[in-house]
Amino acid sequence: MAASVMLEQLVWPLAMVFAALGGGVYLWAVLDGLAARSFGLPRAQSVWQRPLSRGAWLLIQQSNNTEAPDRWGWRLAPALYLALAAVGLALVPWSRDWVATDLATSLVLWGSVEALATVVIFLQGWSANSHFALMGAYRYVALGLSYILISMFVLIGVALPAESLAITRIVASQQDVWNVVRQPLGLPLFLLVGLALTFRGPFNLADSQDLAGGTSVEVSGPPRLVWELARSAMLVAFSGIAATVFLGGWLGPWLPGPLWVMLKMLAILAVQAWLGRWFAVITPSRCLSLMWLILLPLAFIDLIWAGVVALL
Amino acid sequence: MNTSVVVDVAFWLLAVFAVYTGWRVFRTDSMVRASFFLLLSFIAVGVIMLLLSAVYLGVAMFFMMGVEMMVMALFMVMFMMNPAGLNPMMMVHQHRLSIGAGIASFVILAAMALLAGFPQRPLPDDLEPVVALGNELLGDSMLIFESAGVVLLATMIGVVVLSSQRGRFGSAEHGSMPPGLEPGGDPAGMPDDDEEAGGHHHHGHHHCH
Repeated sequence: MAASVMLEQLVWPLAMVFAALGGGVYLWAVLDGLAARSFGLPRAQSVWQRPLSRGAWLLIQQSNNTEAPDRWGWRLAPALYLALAAVGLALVPWSRDWVATDLATSLVLWGSVEALATVVIFLQGWSANSHFALMGAYRYVALGLSYILISMFVLIGVALPAESLAITRIVASQQDVWNVVRQPLGLPLFLLVGLALTFRGPFNLADSQDLAGGTSVEVSGPPRLVWELARSAMLVAFSGIAATVFLGGWLGPWLPGPLWVMLKMLAILAVQAWLGRWFAVITPSRCLSLMWLILLPLAFIDLIWAGVVALL
Repeated sequence: MNTSVVVDVAFWLLAVFAVYTGWRVFRTDSMVRASFFLLLSFIAVGVIMLLLSAVYLGVAMFFMMGVEMMVMALFMVMFMMNPAGLNPMMMVHQHRLSIGAGIASFVILAAMALLAGFPQRPLPDDLEPVVALGNELLGDSMLIFESAGVVLLATMIGVVVLSSQRGRFGSAEHGSMPPGLEPGGDPAGMPDDDEEAGGHHHHGHHHCH
């Protein structure tokens, strides 16, 4: 009896978290490659092989060092970012029973992951003791607050109909109608915030080309591999939360719950990959205006909408 | 598995970690490092609060302190004139006063911990910590909390809207033209490309005739 409980509550959920950390990241890289190919970007290798060969190449590459870096931050930042992504994935309920971390405030813990990611990204850029990396770090912090605010308002919106901050209860509240229908502004805003928080596509301002690679300009070899894995893992965690709070998580006919969650996560990752390739990178100042003057008011409207619907 | 032993071990490890990182705040040599050591200390305290079943307050500690310490590090580096906070610097000042204040507050807090009579109330089985906290905070003071919250948010957004003018002379998309020396006048300090040498021309229209 105890063994089966252990299997249900600990082993399977953790296996899913690690599967998402490994397989999810790989599939994201493949989807990104497919999106790039659909826009006609030439690729020397097949999209299935490229992530593996890049990973292998980074693994055998020499890891760079700078003059007088902050040694702990320099080595720990990529690992901490990966750890935060793992915490995010641990919050995703794979089915009614398979939940790695089932807190009464798991939605707030996801908000904390977003906030602490800002610290870790800053640490990555700051600890290198290098100009462009520091500029990327400052840039991310300056913009990151607006990302977090939008995400918070959208997530408060999904907590309202569930009358709970527990992600499992939020899934249960979507039994009749998913939040993507009930709060139509929520998912689009959350998808844009997801790209911004993992600095991808149009919002790649922290590790951008104009900063010669930004926070990771000095990082090479295995630490670079961990950093890139962590950025992708954070996006996978993001897709897990989005699939859960907007697309009904494990709910769905015929198939078992975990399979539904995975399919929904893959659908969101595919949309993210396409969005990331479709939009051009915007300048930081225009990104700031976009976030504060357009997306944040839309998040307010989403929250008011959610509140009115919950009251009716 | 005896959960209470696990909780005890976790508590002691976290408590030692919180005190150690708190001590490092004053012994390190950079504002950024000091802020992040303080953040680690607060995170350890937040996990202890989770162990005490304060699930909202513990998790709130993570995101509040995360953003707070980040902003603090950023501003301190800007104001301390220490390039990027990576140059070694002394983190303590007014040594005698701070030693005295430290000893006094340690004695007071330790006396409170040892002498105060803490209530012995086991948690009820049907405890809903978030609901209980919400009633405690918002029961009678809903109006005050909500209006203060909305005012703070409006202030924050107002500040960003006012300060998000991009160029020194307006939006970057409209080209950066300095204002005229008089209302409606030509942009000040622009090179004259016609031959009216020396004269201040007050045509009120553009200077390319």
